Amino acid sequence: MLEVLLVDDDEEFTNVACQIIEFLGHQVSIAANLKEATEWLQQQKFDHVFLDFMLPDGSGLHLIDYISKNDLTPFVTMITGHPAVKGMLAGLCGPKIDYIVKPLQREDLENALNRKPKSARKVSATSPKRYFGCLVGESEQMQELYTMIERVAKTSANVMLMGESGVGKEVVARAIHHATNSEEPIVATNCGALSKELIGSELFGHEKGAFTGAVARKQGVFEQAGNGTLFLDEVTEMPLDMQPNLLRVLESKRVVPVGGTREIAVNCRVVSATNRSVEELAEGNVLREDIYFRLAVFPIDIPALRERRSDIPLLAQAFLEELNNENASAFVFQPEQLEKLKQHDWPGNVRELRHAIHRAVIMSDPTQTTIELPKTFLSPFSSVSKKTNSLTAGQTIDDVERELIQITLAKVDGNKTLAAEMLGISTKTLYNRLHAYGEVFDS
Amino acid sequence: MGNDISQPQQSLADLNKLIHDARGPLNRISMQAEMVKLALEADMPKEKAIEAVNKIIAACQDCSRDLQHISDFVKSQK
Repeated sequence: MLEVLLVDDDEEFTNVACQIIEFLGHQVSIAANLKEATEWLQQQKFDHVFLDFMLPDGSGLHLIDYISKNDLTPFVTMITGHPAVKGMLAGLCGPKIDYIVKPLQREDLENALNRKPKSARKVSATSPKRYFGCLVGESEQMQELYTMIERVAKTSANVMLMGESGVGKEVVARAIHHATNSEEPIVATNCGALSKELIGSELFGHEKGAFTGAVARKQGVFEQAGNGTLFLDEVTEMPLDMQPNLLRVLESKRVVPVGGTREIAVNCRVVSATNRSVEELAEGNVLREDIYFRLAVFPIDIPALRERRSDIPLLAQAFLEELNNENASAFVFQPEQLEKLKQHDWPGNVRELRHAIHRAVIMSDPTQTTIELPKTFLSPFSSVSKKTNSLTAGQTIDDVERELIQITLAKVDGNKTLAAEMLGISTKTLYNRLHAYGEVFDS
Repeated sequence: MGNDISQPQQSLADLNKLIHDARGPLNRISMQAEMVKLALEADMPKEKAIEAVNKIIAACQDCSRDLQHISDFVKSQK
């Protein structure tokens, strides 16, 4: 038997849902608004909360905030009229929040209640705080970021997120959306992943019959996002010749689907992201200036993980907790392990940290609570970045050539035929070069 | 994307509100129908089922009224 709290302002619905849930063998309490729900949560422990999105005294999301701030453990199922809310919840939540769509059926309630067996798992008192339901970190840089998110969420300005790969640009986009307290969806698309032919239809939609294969009308992402948020990832990878179309939509706030004549109003906030630096944007000819000013009304720089090392232990704990919940394990870090994580540079940022911890969880003995970290955290990408960094102005071509030959030989264990092939020179030329370098390579 | 809420944006928000309202009775109809099923399957008193059916009929009227509101709103926007 579970203790269930049902939060909805429709009295007839709560009465009948209450009878059905009681028939399923659970104990139900009812709250008609946020205030009553908070009072119930203060009084007793619940295993499951059914929560309507729109309540008379505010959004149901406030109650989720309350639950997470007070380290409460119920499983939460949001009741929504809008299936598009899925995307938004996916970013917000973690394993303990789900949603069901009106009109409800008995099965929906049953499935939601059956999903929750792990709710009694302990959430340790040291569990890192999640800002806006998803961001972890207490460093000064992150506090600044939180302030910026709060400020910009109150406006409808377009935001451009900049930062290295893996710093969590999409998570920040979701945080901004979360901070607006909107029931509207957040829709994400990756401009770098779309072919030139498809990008128009993906962004702006198409009418039935617009081109071969367009068998039905398709909504573009601008339309899907409604009054919510559109997240355009890797916006600088969008082909330059498609950018004028995007500019027109941003300026006119109207979109015309491919093959259509009807204009559709665009009301969403556009949050875009790029892993290129401001200098690259200026020099690289990757983003038209006029588009930049439309997209980056409010630019936000997300700091690299190595610039906020104090957050590494918190993030590591948060990831470990998530993985523990997923795998029903109970691993904990030793203080020296956290220190070791803190020392690494994490060129792949938070994504790399998460990956390293995931790998450690898989490698560790699930019957124990000690987690085994790998001896080194080197990834193929960390070595690449070092190599490219070593190329600096002032080096001679000879130096670079010599270094390249050295690295290539090391890679193929000194096999000169293979090395010559990789370098695109004949074996003879390679021998000549090595000869010229003298004893260094006389192995 | 400006700070002020434009006219079309406001209209869309109003329309979404009306659609949200119309989902309320549909949700009640669905749950009351589940209640009828439950009453019949679990051998509950007949009155339980009749009460739920009456509520379904009332909610159908509510839903029709809400749809009329949407229709009126759309006409008023033309």
